[in-house]
Amino acid sequence: MYGVISPSDRLALAPPLSGVCGVARIGYAAADGVSRLAVLEQQSPLRVLFPRPAAGDPPVAALVTTSGGLVGGDRLDVAVTVGRGARLLAVAQAAEKVYRSLGSDCVVEIALDVADGAWLEWLPQETILFDGARLRRNTALDVAGNGRTLAGEMLVFGRVARGETMTYGLVRDGWTVRRDGRLVWADALHMAGDEIPYSLNAAAGFAGARAYATAIYVGPDAADHRGLAREAAASPGVRSGATLCGPVLIARWLGREPADVRRAFGAYWMRLRAAAGGLAPRLPRLWHV
Amino acid sequence: MSMTEGLSAAGVYRLAVWLSPAFPVGAYTYSSGIEHAVESGFVADPASLFDWVAAMLRVGQGRVDADFFRDAYAAMHSGDADAIAEVTALADAMRGTAELALESAAQGDAFLAAARAAWPEPRLDEFAALIVALGRKPAYAVAVGATAATHGVPLREALTAFLHAVAANLVSAGLRLIPLGQTDGQRVTARLEPDVVAAAEAAMRRSPQDLGAATPMADWMSMQHETQYTRLFRS
Repeated sequence: MYGVISPSDRLALAPPLSGVCGVARIGYAAADGVSRLAVLEQQSPLRVLFPRPAAGDPPVAALVTTSGGLVGGDRLDVAVTVGRGARLLAVAQAAEKVYRSLGSDCVVEIALDVADGAWLEWLPQETILFDGARLRRNTALDVAGNGRTLAGEMLVFGRVARGETMTYGLVRDGWTVRRDGRLVWADALHMAGDEIPYSLNAAAGFAGARAYATAIYVGPDAADHRGLAREAAASPGVRSGATLCGPVLIARWLGREPADVRRAFGAYWMRLRAAAGGLAPRLPRLWHV
Repeated sequence: MSMTEGLSAAGVYRLAVWLSPAFPVGAYTYSSGIEHAVESGFVADPASLFDWVAAMLRVGQGRVDADFFRDAYAAMHSGDADAIAEVTALADAMRGTAELALESAAQGDAFLAAARAAWPEPRLDEFAALIVALGRKPAYAVAVGATAATHGVPLREALTAFLHAVAANLVSAGLRLIPLGQTDGQRVTARLEPDVVAAAEAAMRRSPQDLGAATPMADWMSMQHETQYTRLFRS
């Protein structure tokens, strides 16, 4: 219902009485060795598209936010389930914009459930936080048995291309990873108000970086890929590193230029999906656009 | 000691003992990534050491651990076993790198063992048994927070003393690595007083939904430290 209203129109609707509430539930199940869509529920402004996968690749589900971005009060609920032995590449169709808020937070809840023997790639594009944006996002990943997941996120603090840096607002980006129901890793970025410019500039904070990305790989073979991860994370123009926390292999990037971070993140993704998933070292076409 | 009264002389004594560098948690072997921050030139003098530690208290691991301390204290104080289990699991899992996880878990384990041996308390034995049953390690902040609550030391004072110990240990690591003299180190520690007090106060007011840090460079230093060739510290 909001699909036809442009972002600038939406900003003019001040203040929103209540935000939009988008829903996307996607479930894949395997039958006779083929992964097929088993559950699909969508509510505007979230839409799910199904581009044709490259040969040998898992099926692709592409998430689209048709409103063109999020404002304070908006809420998105995304749930992805990959059944026993099934495979899925879930990808964001475009960068997500979070506009300046008039006071309310926008809330994004992401639940990823990966069954024994399943493979999931949760491949986002960057989330661009406009100055004054307020975002609370939680990603809860549950992996069972020998399920494997490669999942990531990228944040850009301000419209960097036009010289804007985030100076106020709120960013709370939380991750929990469970394996067979047990919490094995948690992470939370939080900064609000004047902590934002302070942290972005502090040496122990972002040290001047304006883009930040994380990729985690969860699987029984996570430890086997640590050496590869350290080497594959390195890229020009970024600070990168990798570490292993239990069954979770974590790689991170910090960079002044979002394009450098994106390039490093994408190159790493291709290496990891090849090493851990036995897949071709490539990314979906729409990720490159 | 009663919860409702202020800090008693016995409480001062216990905090001084538990959070002294002489208490056997091996704090001097951990640098929280400062070793690589010195190696790579980000921490090079008293001013940059102060800035680093102040950021860790305001928006870094010190802030997150202050929240875990608060929650562990409250859970032990009210005897809420579910809440104790929840904060124990979350504080165990919320670690940015392998070495930061080791630093917290090893110190928490050692703290709890020494505290139980020297200051026996049945409720701490129950806490230790719960941790074993959960298959967890107690984060250092959780171990100290739970112990302080069990002994009835007031939260504000206990948390302030804990954050001082964390900050002083980072300063001590910086002194040895840069290197700086003891007087420079004491000046940095003195200058951190308002930061430590503010960090404790902020944790006591903060909503649980605001748990988190904004110091990815500290995590980055710790990741680099894993492969640093010459190392004095375990983190």
